[in-house]
Amino acid sequence: MNTKYVKLFGLFVVAAMLLAACGQAATTAAPTMAATTEAPMAATTEAPMATTAAPTTAPAAAIDCTGVTSGDTLNVVYQWSGDEETSFDTIIKPFVDACGVKVNGQSTRDASVLDTMVKSTPPDILFWPDLSPLKLYTAKLLPLDTVGADVSNYPSYWLDMGTVDGKLLALAVKADVKSIVWYSPTQFQALGYTVPTTFADLQTLVDKMAADGNVPWSMGFNSGGSADGWTGSDFIQDILLATQGPDYVNSIIAGKTPYNDAGVLAAYQIYQKWATDAKYTVGGADGTINTNFNDAILKVFSNPPQALMVKQSGFAGGTITTQYPDLKYGTDFDFFEFPGAQGLQGGADFMMAFSDKPAAKALIAYLTSKTGGENWAAQNFSLSPNTAANGHYTDPQEVKLGDMLANTTGFTFDIGDALGAPFNQAEWTGIISVVQGKDIATTLSTVADAQKQSIK
Amino acid sequence: MVPKIMKQGRWAPWLYLLPALIIMTVFIVYPTIGTIRLSFMNADSTKSAAETCTAGQACWGVFENYHYALTNPDMLLALRNNALWLLLMVPGTIVGGLFFALLADRVPYENVAKAIIFLPTAISFIGAGVIWRFVYAIQSGGGAQIGVLNAIIVGFGGQPVTFLSDPTINNFSLMIVGVWLWAGFCMTILSAAIKNVSAEILEAARVDGANEWQVFVKILFPAISSSIIVVTTTLAIIILKIFDVVFVMTDGNYGTEVIANRMFKLIVTNVGQSTAIAVVLIALTIPIMIFNIRRFRSEEAAR
Repeated sequence: MNTKYVKLFGLFVVAAMLLAACGQAATTAAPTMAATTEAPMAATTEAPMATTAAPTTAPAAAIDCTGVTSGDTLNVVYQWSGDEETSFDTIIKPFVDACGVKVNGQSTRDASVLDTMVKSTPPDILFWPDLSPLKLYTAKLLPLDTVGADVSNYPSYWLDMGTVDGKLLALAVKADVKSIVWYSPTQFQALGYTVPTTFADLQTLVDKMAADGNVPWSMGFNSGGSADGWTGSDFIQDILLATQGPDYVNSIIAGKTPYNDAGVLAAYQIYQKWATDAKYTVGGADGTINTNFNDAILKVFSNPPQALMVKQSGFAGGTITTQYPDLKYGTDFDFFEFPGAQGLQGGADFMMAFSDKPAAKALIAYLTSKTGGENWAAQNFSLSPNTAANGHYTDPQEVKLGDMLANTTGFTFDIGDALGAPFNQAEWTGIISVVQGKDIATTLSTVADAQKQSIK
Repeated sequence: MVPKIMKQGRWAPWLYLLPALIIMTVFIVYPTIGTIRLSFMNADSTKSAAETCTAGQACWGVFENYHYALTNPDMLLALRNNALWLLLMVPGTIVGGLFFALLADRVPYENVAKAIIFLPTAISFIGAGVIWRFVYAIQSGGGAQIGVLNAIIVGFGGQPVTFLSDPTINNFSLMIVGVWLWAGFCMTILSAAIKNVSAEILEAARVDGANEWQVFVKILFPAISSSIIVVTTTLAIIILKIFDVVFVMTDGNYGTEVIANRMFKLIVTNVGQSTAIAVVLIALTIPIMIFNIRRFRSEEAAR
């Protein structure tokens, strides 16, 4: 009896100690924990959410409802959910009100759900964050210019991206930009640095910072194992966009340029120099490899800062304000376009049509119209590739990104996202090996083999 | 005379076995045959593997996927690492478990001590991987070390160590997690075996002048050797299939790849190669299982 109680008590003590230990670990490690569970895909597509929902005032006259009977229904599939879905609903509200159409939105991220749907009852309009449906449902998709799209509001490179055999089957309605560098204007001013505008400027600035004894870059690969290295692939693609341009990157995606081409090799050499030396990046190669990508962002804005710049997509703004709520955008933290990038890197959601019924045509016409672009921008639901959008963003960060998108000459997907496995895994592993000191040429030839396999 | 109802026909045993046989056929035999069949086919199982050969390079014909599984540098690394796991983690865990079993046998509050050692066994591999990622965490540049090991090292004035990305030590870092998880399991079984050794024999040896080491080597160890073999074979099978710890902590990066993780990575992109690796893994496990069954039978016979 007695010993039984002692044993029970012992067990409780152990349990209590364990709980205490776990509790502590959980509180101190919370930021990293959240970070590690975040997949890079989610991170890259997630843009700073709209803070102020500006009232959308569209003149009803601008919306063409030809042939639509009030009460018509429209089935729409997209991946947006929560706040994103609300933003989309607000954007299409003027259309819904003007034409009296009932839009049934269905949110799914599952490609197999979409596949089942397309094979039985396809949605009228599909919004999808990659172009895989173009390959899978080429015959079922309708050319958008025949179902109401106003292509005059889109730069040619967006039209080229969604064109298959001369038919425009997909058109981007939403875009996120990755080619940006975050920094602290206060620090730059205090140390006498200015924001670089060309790639040569950037290289000079980085060398100057290093010579002054300031660490220019903060880099972090750790993303919880399976996607370690993706931040490096973003960085290298931006270097490629600066040194070679968007056509070059697109020809890698198309398989026309092998991944071990001289241009890629040169980009890797620049990257290897920056990512492995403690003079250029926090902690040198070990720091780059072992730092979580969210921690890498925060190192630039900690007090005192451990580095002066971090190359990361738009979501970094959210990471910074979550950790340091006192920091102000524009003075304490800000971003600039990757210097010298001749095109932007990012993600986009594409609109595709399975139906030419009047309501579908009217929605496509609305979204591709000037009014549609303006309303999209007013919601700050990332960016709209529609040329009418710029000037209508209200969130200061989106205003800046919108300017970048309006003034660029090309847009490229992340090569890894576009090609998928096995290329993306080979690319990430390759980048890790290069940072760990492996020979670039041999590594790239392995990645180029994976590129061939991915394109096959 | 035995009543008729008690008599069993020739088919009765099969009838009893039928549910088990059906389940095994559907969930073990059929998938295994399917796996072997797929391992001779190409990446999306539409053509024979022989057609995936690259012109001008060595080709194993229909065994091309096995060519990959047994000669590709990534796979050689995985095979080497699995051998390392087998050679280091199995003895490590057993020595650890035995050590704890012997010590726990001699302390007051034996059950509390054993409960603490046994606790990690209740944690899943994934959970253990996450916990140990924090233990091994390293902070570069300034800032406090949040990983307990690096905090200790830096506290004593040392340089922080990259436990998970340094190829000379990271495999051992991962194996320690495995030992931590399984030592408790070994301890429980070996402790039970030790308790089964009759105290009289041990007393007699001590009376005859044997010291503790001699008692352990000459009497205790032989007496529990069959339990040690059981634990060894069980662990060997588990460790050959090691996946979770590696997947969570490094995903096979930095030279820590293992066979099962390779198989998992390829299942989406190349079914042929992935299933070939699965078959290799089965082939490696079978000898251990045969050994286990043989030993089990001989033990039964000896009874």
